[in-house]
Amino acid sequence: MSMLSTSTPSFAFLRSRWLGCPLALMLTSTWALAQDKRWGPGEPASDYGYRFGELFWLITTLVSVAFALVVVLLIVPMLRDRARPGHRASFDHGKSLHDKRLTAVISIITFIVLDAWVLVIAMKDLREAYWAIPAAKDPQTYKVEVLAQQWAWSFRAAGVDGEFGTPDDILTTNELVVPKDRPVSFNLTSKDVIHSLFLPEMRMKKDLNPGAINLAWFKPVVEGEFSILCAELCGFAHYQMFGKLRVLEQGQFNEWEAEASQLASTAFDADDTEGHWAWDWQE
Amino acid sequence: MSSDHIHPEPTTFLRKHVFSIDHKVIAKQFLWFGLIWLGIGGIMAMMLRWQLANPGVPVPLIGGLLFPRTGGVIDPATYNTLFTMHGTIMIFLGLTPAMIGALGNWCIPLMIGARDMIFPTLNMLSFWAMFLGGAVGFYSLFVPLGATEVGWTGYPTLSTTVGAVGQGETLWAIAVFLIGASSIMGGINYITTVIRLRCPGMTWMRMPLTVWGLFLTSILNVLFIPVIGSAMIILVLDRVFGTSFYVPASIMSGGTGGDPILYQHLFWIFGHPEVYILILPAWGVVCDLLSFFARKPAFGYRTSVGAMVVVTVLSALVYGHHMFTTGLSAMLGESFMLLTMIISVPAEILFFNWLHTLWKGSLRLTTPMLFAMGVIFVFGLGGLTGIYCATIGTDIFLHDTYFIVGHFHLTMAASALFGTFGAIYFWFPKMFGRMMSERLGKLHFWLSFFPLVLVFCIMFISGYAGMPRRYYDHTSAEYLRPLQHLNVATTVSAFLLGVAQFIFVFNFIKSRWWGKTAPQNPWDVGTVDWTIATPVPHYNFKTIPVVRCGPHEFSNPVLGPDTDWIYQTEELPG
Repeated sequence: MSMLSTSTPSFAFLRSRWLGCPLALMLTSTWALAQDKRWGPGEPASDYGYRFGELFWLITTLVSVAFALVVVLLIVPMLRDRARPGHRASFDHGKSLHDKRLTAVISIITFIVLDAWVLVIAMKDLREAYWAIPAAKDPQTYKVEVLAQQWAWSFRAAGVDGEFGTPDDILTTNELVVPKDRPVSFNLTSKDVIHSLFLPEMRMKKDLNPGAINLAWFKPVVEGEFSILCAELCGFAHYQMFGKLRVLEQGQFNEWEAEASQLASTAFDADDTEGHWAWDWQE
Repeated sequence: MSSDHIHPEPTTFLRKHVFSIDHKVIAKQFLWFGLIWLGIGGIMAMMLRWQLANPGVPVPLIGGLLFPRTGGVIDPATYNTLFTMHGTIMIFLGLTPAMIGALGNWCIPLMIGARDMIFPTLNMLSFWAMFLGGAVGFYSLFVPLGATEVGWTGYPTLSTTVGAVGQGETLWAIAVFLIGASSIMGGINYITTVIRLRCPGMTWMRMPLTVWGLFLTSILNVLFIPVIGSAMIILVLDRVFGTSFYVPASIMSGGTGGDPILYQHLFWIFGHPEVYILILPAWGVVCDLLSFFARKPAFGYRTSVGAMVVVTVLSALVYGHHMFTTGLSAMLGESFMLLTMIISVPAEILFFNWLHTLWKGSLRLTTPMLFAMGVIFVFGLGGLTGIYCATIGTDIFLHDTYFIVGHFHLTMAASALFGTFGAIYFWFPKMFGRMMSERLGKLHFWLSFFPLVLVFCIMFISGYAGMPRRYYDHTSAEYLRPLQHLNVATTVSAFLLGVAQFIFVFNFIKSRWWGKTAPQNPWDVGTVDWTIATPVPHYNFKTIPVVRCGPHEFSNPVLGPDTDWIYQTEELPG
């Protein structure tokens, strides 16, 4: 017969000794919670950021309910249905019509609650925001060409004349200045390996693939300084490939743009072939 | 039926223990090989965690020995090598041999009543191809101009000579190719064995679910490993012979050029099924173990099989969700999002069946049972967080952050590992003829379970807070500095998890040689493998058994009040 005593008191030993370590760890984490640290991505600074937040917490709610259910159904038998003398398991292959119906109903409920619900909202967000790249013709759209390389970001804005590849193009490295409340549209490519433009406060991310141009956009709604990170492994200095994103009020931005454009035209060097990497705007 | 496939018992040491064609010996070879590599990969993980919690601080104990040039500090290039090799090792050299190689070789012939695999020599070749792959992978760490440091995904153009000049990257690709060849050989063998060598009466619907899981995994192996094989060959061509399949014209001196995205498609057509290659055997094992130790039939056997088949098919159709930020078109993106979400339906059916198997059972909370229940918890966490990753709207932000790291570790790594542990604790008595210590086993489970959940749940928080993965040092960027406390907490949990594994190592080694002698059937389980004597004789079955009932006839009222189980080879009374 069985070598295992059917009444192994594994819960007793869980209560007494083995829970100590993880409990101590949880207490440490709770203590860390009280410190002045960040536990989330911070306030969103783009209109898409709000959509991300809403979707994230909707999924979190649904998933938490589902997981709580799993845990309850796991723990109840553990406490109630332990092997003991005189106790026999119920015999059920789950083949009856009732069981099949139950399986089907729960599958359908799962699909509707966990998937379809999220899917509908996600599709709406994608259609209204993520895929809805603003038209280049629209004067409101602020266009930026991005060229990534190991390990720096180069940004090119069209400048006052609105044309790329002209002497007044504003070229910046590791710093991007954009106007608030206007859609910022990107043309993204890379010189060497794949990089990924990650604007965490804007909740935006898009890869920059060598040999092709990717499109992306966001609309900053908060003024201030934000982060630019690289999110695709691009070599050993990947972790240092960051930049600064400055969002200015329209008035301030116009001043900055005029000045930068002016400076660029003055400093324009027709022989500097390295610097002339602009391309025709892609839509 | 299978008498044609009997090979005589070898007499020389070499043919008996090294170049054996006996599936039982090959299973043990795979097991030892896999466990050693899991250990190496685990130590690499510990070093990664050390660096993340204490950037630039020399690694204690082993640092001076491993990185003498930097005085024990992991430099950024070495860090990249470590996480690349951690991923490669854990997937290809750790879980694949320990889960599929060892478990498949052990369980398939014994559970379906066969005397060996149908192609014993191919079986041996499969192990030695993997051994060679492991050797090449290990050697790649010490070659001129550096080991691979481009991530286990090896995206070009970083993995071409544009971004990685060292020979290590070429050798890495060759190693993956060799290991892939091993998996294909194993896969063909498993599929054919299951189809051809089932003993009389072992119908498809009487097979233990472990065998079902391994069978479906083998189908995925045979279909999709060739894709990664070709991707690797092309990569080697690009690196060594100057072709440009993956290198675009813009970064070449001339010519038409290729496309780095081609590789991503090839890689993930393989890469997503690979997740299921690792998890399907674990699912099968969990289905069986829950039934064995709840002393109840596996609830909804047919729907479980159906769900696993559906997952197998769907796994081939969802790979695009790895590329949501690559620049997929809206149409492709939305299709992949929908298809990915559909996977939650078969997964939910499995959960429903597992939980229903436990309900009103008579639970024996042995170590294998604890690990099986652990898989439900861990895979529940991992699977449900998959919804964030499948939804483009949330994945845009979470892609390439620690959220993804937490998600895939819980699903494909932790669940597969817990499944493997459960299987090892369960089949150890039959495999080595000795019992593993239950006391230490339970200790191992609880001390692994809590830190493991903590490690990856904290990663969900860091990922949600925007911490990118594959960063050498998160304190360098201003935005990431306030997240360092999460890194520290993850590292502390990871170390606890690492230390707990020594309990397993101790238990395994001690029980292997000095454990209590195992009886023939210590778990009161009726599958065919437990009808054989321990240790298993060379030919497994003197006469090929005849199966007369399903694998899970536990607590059947017709058995009477004195016993709650019956061998598959016995006729149900009445």
